[in-house]
Amino acid sequence: MSSPIKIPTVIIACRVLQSMLEELAPAEVAGNAIFMDYGLHRQPGKMTHELQEKIDGIETPSLILMGYGLCGKGLAGIKSGQHTLKIPRVDDCIAILLGSRQAYRREFSAVPGTYYLSKGWLESGSHPLKEYEELAQKYGAEKTDWIMDQQYQHYERLALVGHSQNDLETYRPQAQKVARYCERWGMRYEELLGSDEYVRQLVDISEASANNDKNFVIILPGGEIHLEQFIQK
Amino acid sequence: MSEIYQQLSTIIIAGDDENAPGLVQKALDEGLPPIEILDNGLLVGMNEVSARFEQEEMFVPEVLLAAKAMHDGLEILRPHLVETGAKPVGKIVLGTVKGDIHDIGKNLVGMMCEGAGFEVINLGFDVDPEKFVEAVKEHQPDIVGMSAMLTTTMIAMGYTIKALKEAGLRDTVKVIIGGSPVDAEIVDRIGADGYAYNSPTAVELVKNLVGMT
Repeated sequence: MSSPIKIPTVIIACRVLQSMLEELAPAEVAGNAIFMDYGLHRQPGKMTHELQEKIDGIETPSLILMGYGLCGKGLAGIKSGQHTLKIPRVDDCIAILLGSRQAYRREFSAVPGTYYLSKGWLESGSHPLKEYEELAQKYGAEKTDWIMDQQYQHYERLALVGHSQNDLETYRPQAQKVARYCERWGMRYEELLGSDEYVRQLVDISEASANNDKNFVIILPGGEIHLEQFIQK
Repeated sequence: MSEIYQQLSTIIIAGDDENAPGLVQKALDEGLPPIEILDNGLLVGMNEVSARFEQEEMFVPEVLLAAKAMHDGLEILRPHLVETGAKPVGKIVLGTVKGDIHDIGKNLVGMMCEGAGFEVINLGFDVDPEKFVEAVKEHQPDIVGMSAMLTTTMIAMGYTIKALKEAGLRDTVKVIIGGSPVDAEIVDRIGADGYAYNSPTAVELVKNLVGMT
């Protein structure tokens, strides 16, 4: 059997995945991880640019584990340079939080209008209640109501995703607070037990997993990330 | 004369929907030509909004408000535009495809195209191919715009184009697509006519397709 990959491993990930990655990645890898602001998902152009800068800033040729999906095309166009990139083959972090693309597809076809919450999103990201509070300071209640309605009135469900019962219990009070606000659109609250399987596979850098192209997009040195690589086969 | 046009564009950029209709009315009361109120006032503002949005300096909430101010201003202006013989520059049928409910981007495209002088028929979200076909039959648009946010729902764009072909309508319209999982390669793959990266580029695209630019 050939030896495992010898090049250094670096994580570059969105902050909403930080706690899962820190828990599951080998300590020496987690210790050097680069976590990026979740707000980049609203600025795909900036996301591409900033991630490229971080990638180019890594001096030694490395295996870079990207804690991202396609993220509104934020990853499309990123060049690997001297590195190898491993990226979950998903639209966004929801599939990662649920544990698989299949689970996301299942949930999405069951209730397309679902707003997903997780530990990471509650702590480091955003959600309708936080957005309301921020916008209300700027625009006042009436205008903010209108803005919020424009964005969320078709949503039917608010789903808290946790990767363990404990996780769900810990974040339930916060999620329910958001859920109470979302009742204005008739959204119902549900809890979904996800899995950390996707993150486990991402941080598994044994050779067998490096060849796993079903769940991951692998970009070799000198390559570039393309949208087509994320289209489900 | 330019002062009120300047005010109009500022009010659009600020998303001040309360004052937009009043200011349009004031401009009309002063006897300014409706088409100039649109071109030199409202559209100048909306173009600036588009530019800032494209530069990621303005975000969805601000753009929604700007589009609303534009829309409310247009409500006052439209009867006068019609009176003076200004016709819509083209007709667009828009919808988020079957299985997908993400419609903020698509609505922005609709509002911005309206601002650019198009008549927009917005079919909403989760629109199945048959509904697109019916809308094309009924409204005979120049352009059909479809939106999808996920790689899994993107497939429905191809089904819609197929349905248009089967109904013998494909050649009567230009089909454009937008959303996260869309680029030039997808356009070729599903047989569309173009795609836009965001709402400002969508406006440029539809103008191009109807020969405005």
